[in-house]
Amino acid sequence: MTIASTEFLLALMLVAGTIFFLPRGLPRQILLACCNAGFLFLCIPNLTSAIALAVFILSGFLVGEWTRRNQNPRARYYLVAAYLIVLLSAFVVLKEYQFLSFIIHPGTISRWVSIVGLSYMLFRQIHYVVDISEGQIECCSLWAYLNYQLDLFALYAGPIQRFQHFSQSWNSTAPILLTTHQRLKSFARLFIGILKVSLLGVLALKVSQRGSDEQIYARSLSGLTKFALLFYFYPAYIYFNFSGYCDIVIAGAAMVGIELPENFNAPYLARNPIDFWARWHMTLTHWIRDYVFTPLYKKGVEGGIMRPQRWSYLCFFIAMFLAGFWHGSTWNFAVFGLLHGCGVSVAKMWEERIIRRGGRPALRNYLKSKPIRVIAIVATVNFVCFTMLFFPTDLTSRLHFLRSFLLAKPVTSSASVFVPGA
Amino acid sequence: MTNPTGDIRDQMQTLFRNVFVDDEIVLRDEMTAADVDGWDSLAHINLIIAVEKHFQIKFATAEISGLKSEGQNIGTFLALVQKKVSARK
Repeated sequence: MTIASTEFLLALMLVAGTIFFLPRGLPRQILLACCNAGFLFLCIPNLTSAIALAVFILSGFLVGEWTRRNQNPRARYYLVAAYLIVLLSAFVVLKEYQFLSFIIHPGTISRWVSIVGLSYMLFRQIHYVVDISEGQIECCSLWAYLNYQLDLFALYAGPIQRFQHFSQSWNSTAPILLTTHQRLKSFARLFIGILKVSLLGVLALKVSQRGSDEQIYARSLSGLTKFALLFYFYPAYIYFNFSGYCDIVIAGAAMVGIELPENFNAPYLARNPIDFWARWHMTLTHWIRDYVFTPLYKKGVEGGIMRPQRWSYLCFFIAMFLAGFWHGSTWNFAVFGLLHGCGVSVAKMWEERIIRRGGRPALRNYLKSKPIRVIAIVATVNFVCFTMLFFPTDLTSRLHFLRSFLLAKPVTSSASVFVPGA
Repeated sequence: MTNPTGDIRDQMQTLFRNVFVDDEIVLRDEMTAADVDGWDSLAHINLIIAVEKHFQIKFATAEISGLKSEGQNIGTFLALVQKKVSARK
């Protein structure tokens, strides 16, 4: 069952209608838990996957409980560090990252274990364990934890919600969508989401595929047009598909009383790569900022590794590289991350150069200038579209495709035929 | 009667002025990150590092991001610092 399918939407209406009349508290939680369990049941292909999922998730809860009860900060720190190493290793193996191909033959693990939304569960789990060890989650039952990790609205592809935020809705006793305006707003958002996924996204994908056939010649007008279709419409497809999906789950969750965080804010109006990540997949950006960038940067500055400014560029680079690599197990995602790492670091250097030359007033004027804003947005859109060339397919095919395009030769090998999203 | 947050406020103001290189910053409770020129994510972490070092306290990961989130202002920041400084004593 997919999120934009008729079955899902009918089930959502039924549950939302039922839950609206249920008293808040345990009856509502039981209904939501049944929905989560039912949805999970549809997503789990076999028993080994179910066992792997249970071990993966329950380990987070057990380690969380142990750290909560342990009074020794040093012991807590080492336990969490050791657990995170084990958890990340398990994740890398379960996802069969390409750099492991020399020890794990591709398909060995995925034949037995396939877990939907594992990447998102990993981030929720790391946040949960770290926050518990730092005393930021005071009390959590297994019941709440399981429903947090397996919330059907965030299971597939986020948004990456924090436990504290989830538990506010989960334990809330306030009525759901009290006014007609709130209800209409949710329905409108649901409709817009369906429109984005089922119409605009599909159209953008179809158009982009016209630019990925075997007849691309760089020096002919038709070749350039086709390349432009691929270049601009594949990112449009990603945007419509993902933001539409987020609209559906955020509106759907609101109808059953769960508030999910926002994930998009007009990303193609961003004026540089830093701004882009503040608007695109925002919950991922915030997670990377809080659990990768901040601790890394703090450690480096406190340890005097190098000048804070230089260290910050390196941290931006590492954080974006990891964010890119998290998106998928193949090398093309590493390239995607590296490109964004470069983009974010260069944007920061540019900003600091302006401040160095003319102080903060110069930066203020730079940000206020409308012509500069337009140029910056166009440049950022093109940069992001370029990086998206590496998003959907394996690196060999993509490099072969680009080489063929740049050398104005038709793509010849069958491996180079590019199907976005494949 | 002395204001217990008064001293913290003065010290925090000095830290703000140092981090944001602006001697004209005057802290008011209702101020947010948007009111201080240059208070971006990186400046926020630099500020946290400076505050932690000066007061010999530690912020949790969730607290660091929470301090700059919606609904938070200088007043809540000062209150958290005050709480941590008191707990240390």
